[in-house]
Amino acid sequence: MSFLEGFRFRGSDSLMHRLDPRVKFVYVCVIFLIAVMYTDFLVQVLLFILQFPAVYLGRVYRQWMKSMRGAVFLAVFILVSILLSQYFYYGYNLLLSDFEYALAMSMRFIVLVASFSIFFLTTSPDYLGLALEQSGVPYQFCFAFVTAVRFVPVLAEEAQRIIDAQRSRGMELEKGSFLKRVRNYIPILIPLIVNAVKRSLELAESMESRAWGSSKKRSSYYTLKLRRGDYALAAISIAALSISLYVKYLVMQGLIRIPMVLPLILRT
Amino acid sequence: MPIIEARNLTYTYPGSSSPSLRDVSFKVERGEFVLLTGPSGCGKTTLCRCLNGLIPHFYGGTLSGELVVSGLKITEHPIHELALHVGLVFQNPENQIFALSVEKDVAFGLENIGMDREEMRRRVEWALEVTGIKDLRDRAPHELSGGQQQRVAIAGVLAMRPEILVLDEPTSFLDPLGAVRILEMIKKLNEEGLTIILIEHRLDLVSRYVDHVMIMNEGSIVLDGRPRELFQSSYPELLGVGLPKVTKLFNMLRNDGLNFKDVPLTPEEASRLVEEALHDRGR
Repeated sequence: MSFLEGFRFRGSDSLMHRLDPRVKFVYVCVIFLIAVMYTDFLVQVLLFILQFPAVYLGRVYRQWMKSMRGAVFLAVFILVSILLSQYFYYGYNLLLSDFEYALAMSMRFIVLVASFSIFFLTTSPDYLGLALEQSGVPYQFCFAFVTAVRFVPVLAEEAQRIIDAQRSRGMELEKGSFLKRVRNYIPILIPLIVNAVKRSLELAESMESRAWGSSKKRSSYYTLKLRRGDYALAAISIAALSISLYVKYLVMQGLIRIPMVLPLILRT
Repeated sequence: MPIIEARNLTYTYPGSSSPSLRDVSFKVERGEFVLLTGPSGCGKTTLCRCLNGLIPHFYGGTLSGELVVSGLKITEHPIHELALHVGLVFQNPENQIFALSVEKDVAFGLENIGMDREEMRRRVEWALEVTGIKDLRDRAPHELSGGQQQRVAIAGVLAMRPEILVLDEPTSFLDPLGAVRILEMIKKLNEEGLTIILIEHRLDLVSRYVDHVMIMNEGSIVLDGRPRELFQSSYPELLGVGLPKVTKLFNMLRNDGLNFKDVPLTPEEASRLVEEALHDRGR
């Protein structure tokens, strides 16, 4: 599960961490939009390079590499499947442009994973919940979101404990056919769910004891305030989106063409 | 006026045929350190749940008799109002922490009552200070040890500035040293005027701190008094309450005809008593 490590927030402090989660989310969404807008390999590579400063500023290189390693693995899978389907679809023939297209699609996937990984690595779920709250989402939902994130490691640990307990009584997880293996997990799921329900009761009790729901207007310990860095990132996001929309418009009008990368490489 | 007063409290959980509390009456004075003990399933936790109104408001069931806490009848005030007077700390610290950073969690109760940020910051600082977790303020709960988590849970309750702190076996998930440290901290809070009600099985660990003991059995309070007086009888042992080992030893010596001035609660007291006895004999 080291792939998921690339998305788990760890308390740390950097320029990226201090940015407002709302602005950061807008930035990630802009990257997403541009990546989806273009099917050109060159653009995807540029977008990917655009992620480097963020990784550097956020000082999350090692965790980010974990998600990247997972993404590359899946990207290869995407590349092969696209090439295969085109090979059969176009009558057992592949052009250079097909390779370029497949590469672009794989790169697009990597770009998306890269940007979302940076977002989750540098944004505390507490602040994410707060951002939701201030965007008008009812507090109950924000609380549910933060609590869900909060209890992921707890439940993972508990699942491991149950697996160990069942194994020590002689249960074999990796045995039998696929269906049998799925069925093997039932003796783990049931105690896990029962425990989770019990846990939720204790949580409710503890929440009640800490004046949950006492006032209509909750206050908040953390606050979100836009700072200079946030305005800069917002400006960058808007600029990136406008430029890419404009270029896309020009391309669609047939006024310019985005060069292919593979022929350039092959020529040299 | 006592800070907690119960009169003929009887309570049955919904769906249960027999009551979990039977005709419970007791008084707790302001500033006391109360130990509530007794065999498992005797109703200790149920009694704690009454103190901040979880019973009957959260659990339902049938409650008769009267319980007044800080001048408030629990049946007439909602939990969130009682929570400002009574802080409840539970056994498992893991399930009492909601936020992903320590300071945000300590602020949870204050956010709920809609306190303004200035005052909230002051309270959080204070609570982090008295529980000794200032350095952990930015840490996530799963990065903390059990003892540290329990400190966070206590800080979160203390930040509400209650007059009474109720702790339901707060040290059962901790190692002995961690447990002693938490208890020392609780004792310090008690010395500053906080009324403490502590549920605990390990009397060896806590006897030195307490000045009022209540022992429950099958839903009733069967013994209520000063620790030294209660621990001289053999009744607690019969109920399955493990008396402090030194106290037990001295009770045995007494039965064998050796006479000491008092019954000790801690090894330190015991050694002093022995010394005095030897000194008297030497004369």
